[in-house]
Amino acid sequence: MSDAVTNLEELKKLAPPVELQRAPVIEGNKGLGWLTDKLSVFAEGKTPLWWWILFLPAAFSATVIFPVCLFYQVFTGVGVWGNNHPVMWGLDIVNFIWWVGVAHAGTLISALLFLTKQHWRTTIGRMAEAMTVFSVMMAGLYPAIHVGRAWFDWFMFPIPNSNGLWPQFKSPLMWDVFAVNTYLVVSSLFWFMGMIPDFGVFRDRATTRVRKAIFSILAMGWTGSARQWHHYEKAYVVLCGLCTLLVFTVSSIVGLDFCTSQIAGWHATIFPLYFVIGAVFCGFGMMMVLLVPLRKWCGLENVITLSHMDKVAKLALVAGLVIDYIYAMEFFIAWYSGDTYERWVFGHRLFGHTYLYLGWTLIGINVCVTQLLWFKKIRSSMKALFIIGLLINIGMWCERFVIVVGSLYQEFLPANWGKYMPTIWDIGLYIGTLGAFFMLYLLFVKFLPVIAIQEVKGVMPEGDPHHPLGGAKKGGQS
Amino acid sequence: MSKNEAPKIYGLMAEFNTPGDLLRAAEKVRAEGYNRWDVFTPFPIHGMDKLMGLKNSLVGWVALAGGAFMFLNIAGLIWFANAFDYPLMVGGKPMFSAPMTFVPSYIMLIMGGALGALIGMLGINQLPRLHHPLLAKKRFALASRDKFIMVIGAEDEKFCATETKQLLESLGGANVDIVEEIA
Amino acid sequence: MSSHNENSKLPPLDLSGWRWLPTFLMVVGGFLTLVGALLSNHYNNLREFGTSWLMAFMFYYSIALGALFMVMIHHLTDAGWSVGIRRFSEHIASLLFPWLAILFLPVALLGKRIYAWMTIDPAQNNVVAAKLPIFTVPGFWICSAIFFAVWWVLSSQLSRWSLKQDESGSVECTRKLRWYSGWGIVAYAAVLTLSGVLWMKSLQYQWFSAMHGVYFFSTCAWSGLATIYVIAAVLLRQGTLAPVLQKNYFYFIGVLMLGFTLFSAYAEFAQYFVVWNANVPEETFWYLIREHGNWWWLSMLLIAGKFFVPFFILLPAAVKTNFKVIIPTCILIWAMHALDIAFNVFPALHDQGYHLKWIWLPLGCLMLMGGFLAKIFLHKFNSHPPYPQRDPRLLEAMGVSQHAVRDLMAANTGGAK
Repeated sequence: MSDAVTNLEELKKLAPPVELQRAPVIEGNKGLGWLTDKLSVFAEGKTPLWWWILFLPAAFSATVIFPVCLFYQVFTGVGVWGNNHPVMWGLDIVNFIWWVGVAHAGTLISALLFLTKQHWRTTIGRMAEAMTVFSVMMAGLYPAIHVGRAWFDWFMFPIPNSNGLWPQFKSPLMWDVFAVNTYLVVSSLFWFMGMIPDFGVFRDRATTRVRKAIFSILAMGWTGSARQWHHYEKAYVVLCGLCTLLVFTVSSIVGLDFCTSQIAGWHATIFPLYFVIGAVFCGFGMMMVLLVPLRKWCGLENVITLSHMDKVAKLALVAGLVIDYIYAMEFFIAWYSGDTYERWVFGHRLFGHTYLYLGWTLIGINVCVTQLLWFKKIRSSMKALFIIGLLINIGMWCERFVIVVGSLYQEFLPANWGKYMPTIWDIGLYIGTLGAFFMLYLLFVKFLPVIAIQEVKGVMPEGDPHHPLGGAKKGGQS
Repeated sequence: MSKNEAPKIYGLMAEFNTPGDLLRAAEKVRAEGYNRWDVFTPFPIHGMDKLMGLKNSLVGWVALAGGAFMFLNIAGLIWFANAFDYPLMVGGKPMFSAPMTFVPSYIMLIMGGALGALIGMLGINQLPRLHHPLLAKKRFALASRDKFIMVIGAEDEKFCATETKQLLESLGGANVDIVEEIA
Repeated sequence: MSSHNENSKLPPLDLSGWRWLPTFLMVVGGFLTLVGALLSNHYNNLREFGTSWLMAFMFYYSIALGALFMVMIHHLTDAGWSVGIRRFSEHIASLLFPWLAILFLPVALLGKRIYAWMTIDPAQNNVVAAKLPIFTVPGFWICSAIFFAVWWVLSSQLSRWSLKQDESGSVECTRKLRWYSGWGIVAYAAVLTLSGVLWMKSLQYQWFSAMHGVYFFSTCAWSGLATIYVIAAVLLRQGTLAPVLQKNYFYFIGVLMLGFTLFSAYAEFAQYFVVWNANVPEETFWYLIREHGNWWWLSMLLIAGKFFVPFFILLPAAVKTNFKVIIPTCILIWAMHALDIAFNVFPALHDQGYHLKWIWLPLGCLMLMGGFLAKIFLHKFNSHPPYPQRDPRLLEAMGVSQHAVRDLMAANTGGAK
C-alpha cells in the first residue's frame, strides 16, 4: 500500500458510506469447513421430492417423445416437418439458433467474468457452464438431422473417401460444423477442468466405496499442491480467454450463415454481432429461469445471494439494451440505405401479415419488458426475475422465428411467396430437446458439484492471507 | 528392497489452520534451506507460487502450440481440399483466400488451444494418476476442506525425520506425521 | 511487483521542461493549417482543408468519447481499480463541450465543400432522397447541435457531481453519477453511432453498413484507452496519482486495450467479410475505392498495425505493466487510429489514392488541435484535485482488500453492522 495514507484513522475516514457497502460473496459465512459442507451436501444427501417431480416428466420427454420424433423424422424424411418451398429453414434452424443462444450466456458468465476478476461469478459459474454444455448438445443435434439424410453426416467432415470429394469450406454452413463441435468440446473441457478439484473434495468426503471409486477416478489423483494449482490456474486463464473468443465466434458464424446471402432482412453487416448478443441475452434469460428455483430448493440462498441475482439481471439488461440497439440499427439502415426490399421486409415484420404477432411479441418483450430490469425493485424480486427470464426466452425464440421465416416466406419474386407452419413433429422434437436438456441439468444438479467449491473458498476472507480470518497477524491492512 | 525393511518415508506432513499461517511457515521453511517441499490447499493461495519460486507455467506455451498446430493444419487442409486436390469455384471467390480460410482455421485454433491447455495442465502435473502416498493419509482429506497442509519430502537433502519434525512443530504445524511411500 | 518497487525508487518525473510543447504545437500547427487553408482555397476550393480538418477533428473526438465511455463504465460497474484514472478521464470527456464543438464549426461551415450530398439535388438522386429530412443542410446543423447538447449534459454533469463528491463523499453524489451513467450509456450509444454516420460515413452517402456504429465505438474506446494508459503512466511516475494507482491497474487497462484490439478487428472483419462475400455493388464500391493507389498499402498497414502488431505485443500477461513496451504501443495505437480515420475520410476526396503532397495539412490540423486541447486539459487538471477524493471505492483503489474495507466500515459503525 502507498505511503500517503498510513494510519488506521485516516483509512476509516475514506471508507465508503454504509449504503454503498459491497455485498459479501457469501452471506452468513461460518468458515471454510461449513462452506464445504454447505456446497456439497445437496449432491450427497437424499434426493428431494421436487427433484423427482421435475425429473420424471423431463425424463419422459427425453426418452420417449424425443426419440420418437427423432427417429420418425430420420426414417421418413424432412417432409414430416413444415419445411417446404420457399421456407426451407423452419423450426429446426430456429431451435438450433435458440439452443446455441442459451449456451452462450453460460460461457460468457464463466469466462469473461473470470477474466474481469468478478468474485461473485464463482457461485454461479458452474451452473452456467453446465447450461452451456447441455444446450450445445441440443443445438448440435438440429443441423445434423436437418440435412435430411443423417447417415451422410460424415460428408461434413474432411474425411478422405473413395469419391475423392471434400467438404466445401467456402460456406459458413460448413464452418458451423467446426464451430459447434469446437464449442461442445471446449465448453465441456472447461466445465470438466473446473470440476477436477471439486471432484477431489467429493472424493475426500465420500462415505461409500462406490462414491469413493467414482470420484477418485474423476479427480484423477488431484492433491491440490501448490505446483498443481500453479499450472491449473494458468490453464484456466487460457481456457477462459479461448472461451471468451468462442462466445464471439460461434454465434458470429451462425450469423454469417444468414448475412453472407443477399436476402433482404438477412444481409446486414451487424448480423454476426447481432447473433452474439441475441444469444447472450437469451442465455441470461435461461440463467434466471434456472437459478431462481434452484437457489431456493438446493438451499443455496446464502451462496447465490440476492446481490448475485441482481447482477445477473443487470447483465441481462445490458444484453437487452445492446440487442435493442441492434434492432434500431437494422431498422435505421433499412431506412438509410433506401433499399426497397429492405424497407419492405422490415415494414412487414411489424405491419405485414401472418407473422406480425411474433414481430410484436419480440418488440414487446425484448424491447419493453427488458426495461423493467432498470428497477431495483424488480431485480430484487425473484418471482419477477423468473417470469422475465421465461419471457426473454420466448421473446428470443420469436426473434429467431421472425428472422428465419420472416425473411424467407416472401422473397424477391412472387414465385417465392408462401407460408410456413410447423407440424406436430417440429414441436415434438423441440419438446424432446427441452426435456433432454432439463433431464441432464437435473442429473448434474443432483450428482455433481453445482457450485465451484474451490473458487468460492478462494474469494472468502478466510482465503485471504492478509485478512485476520485468513491468518494475518496485523488486522485490517494489507 | 527386502520385506522386513521398514516402509520408505515419503515425507513429513503438518497441518495449518489458515493460509496466512501457511505462508509464514513456508517462508521459514524456505529460509531454512529446504527445497523439496510443497503445500496442499483447498484453493490456490495468492503469493504462494512466488514464494516457492515457481516460474511462469509452461501450460500457456503448450496451449499456444496446440492452437498454432490446429490453425496451420486446417488452413493447409482447406488449401489442399478446395484449391489443390479438387479445385472448386464458389461464388466467384478465389480458390484459396485469406478471409475464407481464416474463420474455420481460427475456430480450430481455439479447439487446439483448449485441448493444449487441458492436456498440458494434466501432463505437467503428471495426472491422471491412480494413487498418491498422501491420499493414503486419513487427515490429508482435510486439505480439500479447511486445512492447509505442508509436506517436506524425504528426498530433500536437509530432511531429517526428527529435526524436520521439530521445525514443523515450531512453526505451528499441528498433527505432524510421517507419510509412507507406497509399497 | 518488483518492477513497481524499482519504479518507486526512481525520482519522480519532472515534466516542467515540457511546458512549451502545447504552445509549440499550436504555433507550428496553426501555421501549417493557415498555409493549408490558403493553398487549398486557391487549388481546390477548400475541399482539401475541410476534409483534413474533419479527419483531425474525428481523431480527438473519438479519444474524448473513449474517455467518456470509461468514466461511465466506472460508475455502472461500481469498479474499484479505475478510481484513479477517473478524474482525468472526466477532463478529457469534458473537452467535448464546448471545445470540440468549437473545433467542429469549420466542418459545419465548410459542409458543402466536404460532403458531396449537400450539393446534390434530392429530386435527382434517390439515395439522398431516401435520407431526407436529415440529409439537408438544416438537418445536418440541427442533428449536430443535438449531438453536442447530449455530450454537454453528460460530460458536464458527470464532472460536476464528481467534484461535489470530493467535498462531501455523500451517497447522493454516487447515486447521481450512476443515474447519469445509466441513461447516459444509452444516449452515448445512439449519439456516437449517429454522429459517426452523419459526420464520417455520409462522406460516401451511397454506402451503408449496420456495423459502422459498432466499429466506430470500438476504435473510440481503443484509442481512448491508449490515451488513458499514457496519462496514467506519466502521472504515476510524476507522483500525482501514485496513491491510487497500483501496478496491476495498468494490467487491467492493458487487458482492456487487448480486448478492444480484438473487438475492433472483429467489427472491421465482420463488416468487410459480409460486404466481400455477398458482393452487392451498392456496398462493395466502398472497399473497391480503398484498393486503389496507396489506399491499398494503407489498408495492408492497418491490418498489421491495428490488429496483428498490438495484439501480439499485448498478449503476454507480464508485458501489460511494462511501460517501456506499452507506451510505444500506445503511440502506435494513436498513429494507427489516425490512419484509420484517414482511411475512412480521405478516399471520399481522393478516390485514386492519397496525394502525399498534402500530408502536412492533416498533420498541421492534428498538431493545432492537439496543442489547443492539451492546454485546456492541463488547465482543467491543474485546477481540480488529481483524483476523486471521496470515491466510495477509493480505499480499494489504494490497495486495501474488499474484506478489509468491510472491516473498516464495521469499525466506523461501531461493529453493529
